[in-house]
Amino acid sequence: MLEWIARDRVATLFMVTVGVILAVGAASPGFLSLGTASIVWSNGLVLMLVALGIFPVILTRNIDVSGGSVLGLSAVTLGLSVNAGFAMPIAIAMAMGAGIAAGALNGFLVAVLGAPSIVATLGTLGLFRGAMLIATGGEWIEGLPENLKALGARSFAGLSVMGVVTASIIILLWVFLRSRRGRWFMVVGDNREAARHLGLPVKRIEFLAFVWAGAAASVAGITFASQIGFVPNQAGTGIELRAIAALVLGGVSLLGGVGSVAGVVIGVIFFTSIDTSLVFLKIPAYWNDLIGGAMLLTVLLIDGRLRIALEARDRAARYRRGEQGGPDLKNAEDAA
Amino acid sequence: MKKYLMRWEVLLLGLLAIELVVFGLINPRFLYPSSLLYGTSDFVQVGIVAVPLTFVIIAGGIDVSFASTVGLCAITFGIANFFGMPLAVSILIGCATGALAGVLNATIIQLTRLQPLVVTLGSLYMFSGAATVLSGVVGANGYEGIGGFPAGFTALGYASIFGLPMPLFVFLCFSAVLLVLLHATRFGRLVFQIGQNENAARHSGMPVFRVQLITYVMTGCAAALAGLLLSAYFGSARVDLGSATLLPAITAAVLGGASIYGGKGSVLGTIIATFIIGYLQQGLQMSGVPSQISSALSGALLVLVVALRHGVALLRDFFPGRLRQSN
Repeated sequence: MLEWIARDRVATLFMVTVGVILAVGAASPGFLSLGTASIVWSNGLVLMLVALGIFPVILTRNIDVSGGSVLGLSAVTLGLSVNAGFAMPIAIAMAMGAGIAAGALNGFLVAVLGAPSIVATLGTLGLFRGAMLIATGGEWIEGLPENLKALGARSFAGLSVMGVVTASIIILLWVFLRSRRGRWFMVVGDNREAARHLGLPVKRIEFLAFVWAGAAASVAGITFASQIGFVPNQAGTGIELRAIAALVLGGVSLLGGVGSVAGVVIGVIFFTSIDTSLVFLKIPAYWNDLIGGAMLLTVLLIDGRLRIALEARDRAARYRRGEQGGPDLKNAEDAA
Repeated sequence: MKKYLMRWEVLLLGLLAIELVVFGLINPRFLYPSSLLYGTSDFVQVGIVAVPLTFVIIAGGIDVSFASTVGLCAITFGIANFFGMPLAVSILIGCATGALAGVLNATIIQLTRLQPLVVTLGSLYMFSGAATVLSGVVGANGYEGIGGFPAGFTALGYASIFGLPMPLFVFLCFSAVLLVLLHATRFGRLVFQIGQNENAARHSGMPVFRVQLITYVMTGCAAALAGLLLSAYFGSARVDLGSATLLPAITAAVLGGASIYGGKGSVLGTIIATFIIGYLQQGLQMSGVPSQISSALSGALLVLVVALRHGVALLRDFFPGRLRQSN
């Protein structure tokens, strides 16, 4: 049982999430309904998109903390260009272009210049937020047209257009990461030097991961603008940290190479459903951070201790086999 | 190696001088001694957390939770004061909170062997959440803050010692102690060696956990100090007092020469970098640039420095022969 918990992070987290939801449902009737599920899904969209964007970057053993500002920058690009009279598809393309350009700058700094990703993206976090504020002159963008807001409104079967778009992005990423080229991201993160010696275009892969993060954050920005209906100055502030927390919770290792799309999705849903349950349990919103942070630390603590215990056991088992005269290769492979 | 580090700090000093001259030309009032001195009260809290943060980074860790520790310590101080404790006891409670926060971070990192960034990210949330909840205890809802400090305490924020404003004086003393600690003691060497190669340090019997624990506790205490100074300066303890120090403090440490991979860095560099960043924002504001743009520029500064340092390294790889000749 213990072994299974430590080995299958996604399944454990899934069970914890279901347990939490059932407990909240027992405490406040009316929580367990399809309506709530659709609320949780649409509340989590922005976080989900940012997390899905950062995910491949972390797989390559880098990190991107500029997601929140890229979100804000592309939301502002969208808002300004729509209000300037551009057609909706053009405005959306411009917003995504802004996100992709931002991602490309991150990728250039990290993959081409070789700067440590945490430092480079911390810098661009400030830079993009500033660029966004310069573009708006420090004012909120209001009066977005109805057809933009329609993208975020829950229309058919409780799903919004952006909800469907996000679902298809999840499936796309899942399929891509299982493909031959998708595996390259994990290979680079697992052992960069080995990947280079195998002939993989390591720098191009890292660059593309950052561009993908920018693109995903720009879709998150579009979703944000369509759901809220206006673009405040603080749009997306701090969401990158929440996204990284959700990723870690979902079993993605910051040391690169380990993680699954299913884990990301469940991690995000877990975080969002906690926020939503607090509303149902009538706990004031200012408890959110304390409860979320304490839960994250608890999960990390338990998970870390379990992993260390398992490693110690595996090592002891290896030593025992060694004493019995020569390692049994087949068993050793199974254990690894 | 040492020669290179010295050069980096000299370069930083040159950058600071250029910056002062440029802003002085734009607005001569910027160079008045009084505005140069008392302007520091707006940014020394960045330096106060950045210097011990340099220790953490050199020892191979990273701490992002200090940004909410500042607010948390200010709030616990405010609450202790609210319930009528003597000033000294309240201050002690604030500092103890900071030290505890550091112990918590280091212990969880040690117990889980996870990356410090992940752990301190979690505590960043938890501490700011705890501060918000605690400030609700005394009825200061949300971000309003806890006030009502004794007049002697708020006067500290504006007092001056030897002609220096109090916050600047505290910062200079504090960082002078840490400067000696890092560069002239056995403990300082341990910090560097652990950052260079943690496993090698452990195998040669160095007290790795204890040293890392001390660096995190120092950061927590410094955050408490910053929280107290800011509460005295603003006259109220707020949850979000430290949230604006996160980015500039890491920028100061990195700009000052600390390597995010550990094993490299200097206190002096961080101190100079703090002044560069602080005066950049002040100068831009006095030149009539809106504060949004100045925040963009300090982000751009970090990007530029990182690009420069790594771009130069790349160039050196391209022309190995020529550089070897010049050395």
